[in-house]
Amino acid sequence: MTDPVRATPDDSTLVRIRGLTTVLNGKTIFDALDLDIPRGKVTAIMGPSGTGKTTLLKHITGQMRADAGEIRVNGQNVANLSRDELYKLREGIGYLFQNSALLTDFDVFENVAFPLRQHTKLPEVLIRNLVLLKLQAVGLRGAARLMPNELSGGMARRVALARAIVFDPMLILYDEPFVGLDPVALNQVLKLIRTLNQTLGITSVLVAHELEAIKQVADHVFLIANGKVVAQGDPKTIANDGSPWTRQFFGGEADGPVPFQYPAGNLAQALGFTGAAK
Amino acid sequence: MNVRAPHSNNVVVQSLTQIGLCGLFLLTLLASVPRSFRYACETLRQLWFVGAMSLAIIMVCGLFIGMVLMLQLYNVLSIFGSTSASGMVVALAVYRELGPVVTALLFAGRAGTSITAEIGLMRATDQIDAMEMMAVDPIAYVATPRFLAGLIAMPLLCCVFCAMAIFGGHLVGVTWLGIDNGTFWSNMTAVVVVHTDIVNGVLFKSLVFGAVVSLIAVFQGFTTPPTSEGVAYATTRTVVASSIAILALDFVLTAFLM
Repeated sequence: MTDPVRATPDDSTLVRIRGLTTVLNGKTIFDALDLDIPRGKVTAIMGPSGTGKTTLLKHITGQMRADAGEIRVNGQNVANLSRDELYKLREGIGYLFQNSALLTDFDVFENVAFPLRQHTKLPEVLIRNLVLLKLQAVGLRGAARLMPNELSGGMARRVALARAIVFDPMLILYDEPFVGLDPVALNQVLKLIRTLNQTLGITSVLVAHELEAIKQVADHVFLIANGKVVAQGDPKTIANDGSPWTRQFFGGEADGPVPFQYPAGNLAQALGFTGAAK
Repeated sequence: MNVRAPHSNNVVVQSLTQIGLCGLFLLTLLASVPRSFRYACETLRQLWFVGAMSLAIIMVCGLFIGMVLMLQLYNVLSIFGSTSASGMVVALAVYRELGPVVTALLFAGRAGTSITAEIGLMRATDQIDAMEMMAVDPIAYVATPRFLAGLIAMPLLCCVFCAMAIFGGHLVGVTWLGIDNGTFWSNMTAVVVVHTDIVNGVLFKSLVFGAVVSLIAVFQGFTTPPTSEGVAYATTRTVVASSIAILALDFVLTAFLM
């Protein structure tokens, strides 16, 4: 069996998705989606809101089962893993939640130390040093004893980032990592993602909307819409590839292949102007 | 474990589905007990929270229930000139029924609701999912310690409740109304049987009620929709379902244990 945590050097694709089909509440989220996430690179997943970017991350981590298709992480078919195998795989995955998801009973230090305490028998002094180093990396070493309810949204996100990287995982999934960050923190987080990728070879997957930030940090971008990958490529050139999808998404246009309005009936009829509806 | 109920507008179907899912959840809980032993500190923390922190309300309510029970019994029994039996009747009523039932109802209101609200909020703020993602089993880390804590705390709380109720009865009967102290205790000890009244009445019933209330509280917390309204409804459901289950089970247990 493939070791779920250690990388297989000859395989350049860490996450391979084939024919992924997901239907939620009657709405098709993914329609036979194919996508490869290269090992050791920073990959960005972009797309309109509600297009299923977070759902895709949940499929990769086995939090959600797909209706059809196959997802392989480090060679392992996620859908076929037992609970213990899935947990073993997750020990090698860091996940930054959209709303940080810090454990509210614990302070900042204990939140970051939580994965270490659960999965290792490291001496306390080593745990302390590791946690402080990760907190230093996100600029919050001084906030180690604050409780989550004493943090701003941006600070909570940085603590969650420190927790996601504390194990130096093989794969880190960032769900909207740049939301709520001030320019200084944003720059530092971008540097941190890049450094983790370059120094430790960690594969990173970013779900984000900030194209300028993505341009600085990502090696490859996938644009997802209508359940499929509609464009992909280098972040510096993808915005100018001329397709209607990229033109609308990166140009911020209301009209285009992706409707701005959620599917709805006639507005005049909804407002009670029955004559206008005829 | 995904234990969300499929949607149905039929109340009977909904209720049966909930009971079925709750049963499956219980099996998952029991299966995770060995894994939860490594979180013994968390179980102790929860024991403090649901047990020790419930002591005040249990003691005060026990005291007043014993006092009012003695007052009522004294008034009724004085008609027949048998006020000396008041202490005995207070003890039997408290050991057999009032102790376990009222403790369980108070426990559901004090600890059950807080367990549901806490787990519900953890789910609403993705803390449960975060644990899953950190390869920490939330059933073993969150649910089972709370379930075990409820299981251990309820018989202990019930003993405290009964002691306070007897003390309250003594306070009113002997100190205030003038029943002879020796008669009060001798009648009581002559009638109360350890196996029937203490083991079956106090300990066994309260153990069952503790398991039921803790199970309902944890189940409702884990299955609550991740919204503020969902948490509110789940908390209410914990009280309603626990109360009905306690009273219904009390009848069944009494019928079998008599």
